[in-house]
Amino acid sequence: MKLSPENPLSAEPEIETSHVEEFVEQLRCVTDTLPSRINIDAQSVEQGLAKLVLTLIEFIRRLLEKQAVRRMEGGDLSPEQIEELGLALMRLEGKLQELKTQFGLEDEDLNLDLGPIGRLI
Amino acid sequence: MKLYVYCLLEGIDEMNGPVRGISGAPVRLQALENLGVLVSDFDADAVPVTRENAMTHAAVVRSVLDRTTPLPFRFGTLVTEQQLRSYISARKPALETNLALVRGCVEMSMKIIWPVSKEASKEREESTEPDQGAGATFLAAKRREILGSELRSAQANEISTWLHESISGLTRDEKVTIQSSERLFLAAAHLVERPNLQRYREKMSAAREARPELHFLLSGPWPPYSFANIELEFKTQFGVS
Amino acid sequence: MSDFDQILVGEEWEETDLSLLETLDHVLNRGLVIAGEITISVADIDLIFLGLNVLVSSVETAHEVLRKRQSE
Repeated sequence: MKLSPENPLSAEPEIETSHVEEFVEQLRCVTDTLPSRINIDAQSVEQGLAKLVLTLIEFIRRLLEKQAVRRMEGGDLSPEQIEELGLALMRLEGKLQELKTQFGLEDEDLNLDLGPIGRLI
Repeated sequence: MKLYVYCLLEGIDEMNGPVRGISGAPVRLQALENLGVLVSDFDADAVPVTRENAMTHAAVVRSVLDRTTPLPFRFGTLVTEQQLRSYISARKPALETNLALVRGCVEMSMKIIWPVSKEASKEREESTEPDQGAGATFLAAKRREILGSELRSAQANEISTWLHESISGLTRDEKVTIQSSERLFLAAAHLVERPNLQRYREKMSAAREARPELHFLLSGPWPPYSFANIELEFKTQFGVS
Repeated sequence: MSDFDQILVGEEWEETDLSLLETLDHVLNRGLVIAGEITISVADIDLIFLGLNVLVSSVETAHEVLRKRQSE
């Protein structure tokens, strides 16, 4: 971009890409976290709180899964323990899915923007 | 009557011409201590997030970019004049530090998508052992998933490092965020000194050609939205990095 | 009238305007935040975060403002 009187910095920013649709889809994901910020009524307040709680549980659930895999790889779990651990985590994942459905939340809804620390998930 | 605030700036005494703001209200330059704030009057309690308002906000902040580098306020900031005064006088050192950081610069935005690789789908076809219980199968699948995402994190770091090295020396500061869900998405904000803008563009063009497997989006110049933050203070006060 | 409804509901949001999306990505989630006066939306995750962040820096501000008032 050449800077010139016809193209000063206060002109509209240029956007350059060869993949418009892909980026549109990606940016819509980013701004689609906005949907729950919609109405000023009780239902979305409840949904907002559910989202917060479920996000935290989801975060912990993922940590638990990672930890379980790590221990499994570390070789200090018996086959029975692996089986039990797997079943428990499987049930937890299923339960969380049920709760998400109940509150009408998608996977993308369960995320927290912690600003300088980044996104939670 | 509240004020809609657009940005904080220094070095300008008056507007160059009439500028229309939110709801068509005229924008004026309010002097506060030795700084200035672009404001317009606003009559309701909340600002509707419409295309028109978002674009108007951006246009107003942009209108001074030729003459100075402003610190944009977040879209939708409504205050009374008194609140604005308190904010400025209480935050003055941090704001001046922030203005100094962005002085003479503009923000360029670079976003990169790396579409899903073929290795990911191959992994999923691994067969399970016949006498494995449901729980063990579940964990094995999770293991593949987690390894996949660790791979993507490594890829993300590689791209981030490569990008940083490609424009090394041309940016005063950078902010990078990475999402590695199904496909890798990296968003970088670069604070570029104005005289370096041309060379920055050239280096970015060359970088894009060097990595045809990546999909790029370059936009700018923008006022320094991503570099307007008083979290700087938060970090030094509380040791968060 | 609620805010995001105007963008996200109806055909207006179906449009695939990259320029608008890029602009939104800049003006909506970034920029200086003045203590507690961001009136975009109500009762939602993002507000909670904003509240926290702003609260931390507001504590500093409140002290300074109080000190000033006391000396007036």
